[in-house]
Amino acid sequence: MSASEPTTPTAPQYVYGVVRSDAELPEGLTGLDGQPVKLIRHERVAALISDLPQGRALGERADLVAHQSVLQAFVDAGAAVLPFRFGAAMAGADAVRDELLAANADRLAAVLESIDGRVAVRVKGRYEQDAVLREVLAGDPEIAELSERLRGVPEDAADAVYYDRVRLGEMIVGALRERRANDSARLLTALAPLAEAVSAHEPVRDEDVVDASLLVAAGERDRFEKAVEGLAEENRDRISLRLVGPLPPYDFVPEG
Amino acid sequence: MTGPIAQQTSGTSYVQNGGGGGRGTSGLADVVDLILEKGLVIDVYARVALVGIEILTVDVRIVVASVDTYLRFAQAVNRLDIAHDGTAQGLPEFVGGLEESGAKRKTKGMLSGAQERIKETLGGDDDDSDSKSKRPARRRGSKDEEDDK
Repeated sequence: MSASEPTTPTAPQYVYGVVRSDAELPEGLTGLDGQPVKLIRHERVAALISDLPQGRALGERADLVAHQSVLQAFVDAGAAVLPFRFGAAMAGADAVRDELLAANADRLAAVLESIDGRVAVRVKGRYEQDAVLREVLAGDPEIAELSERLRGVPEDAADAVYYDRVRLGEMIVGALRERRANDSARLLTALAPLAEAVSAHEPVRDEDVVDASLLVAAGERDRFEKAVEGLAEENRDRISLRLVGPLPPYDFVPEG
Repeated sequence: MTGPIAQQTSGTSYVQNGGGGGRGTSGLADVVDLILEKGLVIDVYARVALVGIEILTVDVRIVVASVDTYLRFAQAVNRLDIAHDGTAQGLPEFVGGLEESGAKRKTKGMLSGAQERIKETLGGDDDDSDSKSKRPARRRGSKDEEDDK
């Protein structure tokens, strides 16, 4: 792309998200590279944009934080906001208005309606490693036996049992997966009735128990938080449970 | 509607603000995969006026080399036993064992290198960094299809 004056109407624009056109732009809100965030409106919908940084690739930590912060400012103000995935840019403010907003006004307004008055939160749980490993040892004689045997192997013979150690770890990981299936289902079953929508993420690590985004009606938020606290308390010996949010509803906007 | 929540609740549930403001690091770690993998995709809504941009970013979902994971758990359970019965044997042999072969050491080295890089990107002390790897990639540049190194 050619270099252009940063503030001309045709300067390329980074697009953070879409809000209702009556949403208020928080004063002094800045985005990528500290550029002022602008609201460009078309009828009922408006896009959050700022001048696109030129001459470098995006994706530094500060860029990700900027993207999130702009959207979070609206979430914190209680305004419905549709987050774009990181990396959306258009040729200019006019293009944003005409091609993004005007051409999709009804569709965007409908999605905004679907999340209005609701908050997105994320629940993450992780096993307390020592506690769950004790469970695994207690619950599986084969694992306990192999673990016991390997513990008795002298230092200079450790190489000889390399594959046994791999096998022990593999069995432990298998046992954790089984436990996770039960525990995550149990936790989400308890929370799902309090949410309007649930998006379960595949846990990344073997010691992760649950990772899900939930869309909760604003009026149910207290009940929901108490439910999470209750589950955290009940499971505190073996699972560390965290509630993060409210967040922009990344999981609750249509991908296609 | 109420504002953001940022408090230590009872039990082990830690309720925190989602990451824009002052809580920087841990906040970003909790949303970085959403920012990169979820949300509206602009290409679906507009095409003609898109601007292709180069994105350097993290791939938040790597598969950690299985053998390494297995050895980590084998070591953890071994350490657990030590703590449990108070015997001192065991741990050194496992630490030593991890160094045993060149090939294995290489895997391990690559893995920790990846962790260091992501820590730079995410700013360090987040609790999720050990499961992520940085992949400098032209992840999705709207109009540019000529991806992959």
